[in-house]
Amino acid sequence: MIDVKGLNKSFGKLHILKDITETINQGEKVVIIGPSGSGKSTFLRCLNLMEKPTSGEIYVDGENITSMHQREVNLMRQKMGMVFQHFNLFPHLTIRKNITLAPVKLKLMSREEADEKAEELLEKVGLADKADNYPGQLSGGQKQRIAIARALAMNPEVMLFDEPTSALDPEMVGEVLNLMKQLAKDGMTMVVVTHEMGFAREVASRVMFMDGGRIIEQAPPEEFFSSPKNQRTRDFLSKVL
Amino acid sequence: MSDFIQKFKDTFIEKDRWTYLTDGLKTTLIITFFAVILGMALGFIIAVIRTTHDKTGKLKLPNIIAHVYLTVIRGTPVVVQLLIIYFVVFGSVAINKIFVAVLAFGLNSAAYVAEIVRSGIMSIDNGQFEAGSSLGLNYSKTMIYIILPQAFKNVLPSLANECIVLLKETSVAGYIAIADLTKGGDFIRSQTYEAFMPLIAVALIYLVMVMIMTALVSKLERRLAKNDRR
Repeated sequence: MIDVKGLNKSFGKLHILKDITETINQGEKVVIIGPSGSGKSTFLRCLNLMEKPTSGEIYVDGENITSMHQREVNLMRQKMGMVFQHFNLFPHLTIRKNITLAPVKLKLMSREEADEKAEELLEKVGLADKADNYPGQLSGGQKQRIAIARALAMNPEVMLFDEPTSALDPEMVGEVLNLMKQLAKDGMTMVVVTHEMGFAREVASRVMFMDGGRIIEQAPPEEFFSSPKNQRTRDFLSKVL
Repeated sequence: MSDFIQKFKDTFIEKDRWTYLTDGLKTTLIITFFAVILGMALGFIIAVIRTTHDKTGKLKLPNIIAHVYLTVIRGTPVVVQLLIIYFVVFGSVAINKIFVAVLAFGLNSAAYVAEIVRSGIMSIDNGQFEAGSSLGLNYSKTMIYIILPQAFKNVLPSLANECIVLLKETSVAGYIAIADLTKGGDFIRSQTYEAFMPLIAVALIYLVMVMIMTALVSKLERRLAKNDRR
């Protein structure tokens, strides 16, 4: 469902992504790992054009999103949910409004339908009692679960996770990962940038190792972690495992 | 003491002179009220133009116009602007002076409001823009529903301060012979040859109004703050 062809991204003189060609199929759970500065977040953020590629093409459901008008880009983003490292909840809105804002303002649902959907999602993420609270009253883990619910409210076809647990206190990482595991079990297509090797091992259908702006190696998790082929992958794994 | 009471009577009671102050106050409030509305509306528009240009690179020409506007307005005294609008821009047409004052003070205030609001918008974390657009909201919807409400709350104290400044600035409206509060007090002085009473009265009225406005704003701020204890 996502086809990346010859993707390059530079920030000024800094060449972050180097000629990446990759395909992500429906139902896959791709976990991207790699050292900081390897370009993994930038790669993820290119997939829904949070970053504009310097060159190359990205196809989502067969449509080239890099040549789209802004209006079509906005439509494309509706089917690609994104979860950020720093949650980015809307602090001036209640949890319910955080979840319902986009579906209602984009006229995808009536207010009643959206409220119902929010109710259902809050149930799913285990925070049904927080609907009328503000983000400031929640813990980090709770915030991230709400951020996931907010993205799910758009009924996305794929979910992009940009280091969703990196800003959390250690004891809160579990609750977010559990929710993501549940999501994976439900069949959601997921692309996850993370440092959580346990999660990669357990949930990924494919682990991708990036370094220096390139995808160095990728394989199903059992194979990836037990017998990495590339020396750089081995070095990296020896440091993080 | 009886001397004081006599002066008080001469200044305010005799010939109903107090009406100069009440009528003047009314004029001052009318000018301030409409100038604030004009200033806020125009200021918000300018701020959005400037930040949209900064963030997306669009609106090049409006941004240049806005930039020139801010430079000129902030680089010249408000009295001069008032005089130019009255005697130059509308020099050859009969026009309501209050309208001229509203226009002059509104246009002036807009420049300051624009910079206040712009700083407010810029202070909002870029992640908020990203969250909005990742949900498929376009730029203007993200601005209206996500950024501006937060920016507005952040700059509310500065905006209120701008209103207070504007209220006091209208005291130069007398330059185009508008009988505002200041002019009213000065008029009494010219009749009674007694400066202390009318001018102190004028000062006190301004002070009370400013204190009331300040109190209202801090009440509003407290109410808004309740929403997002972080």
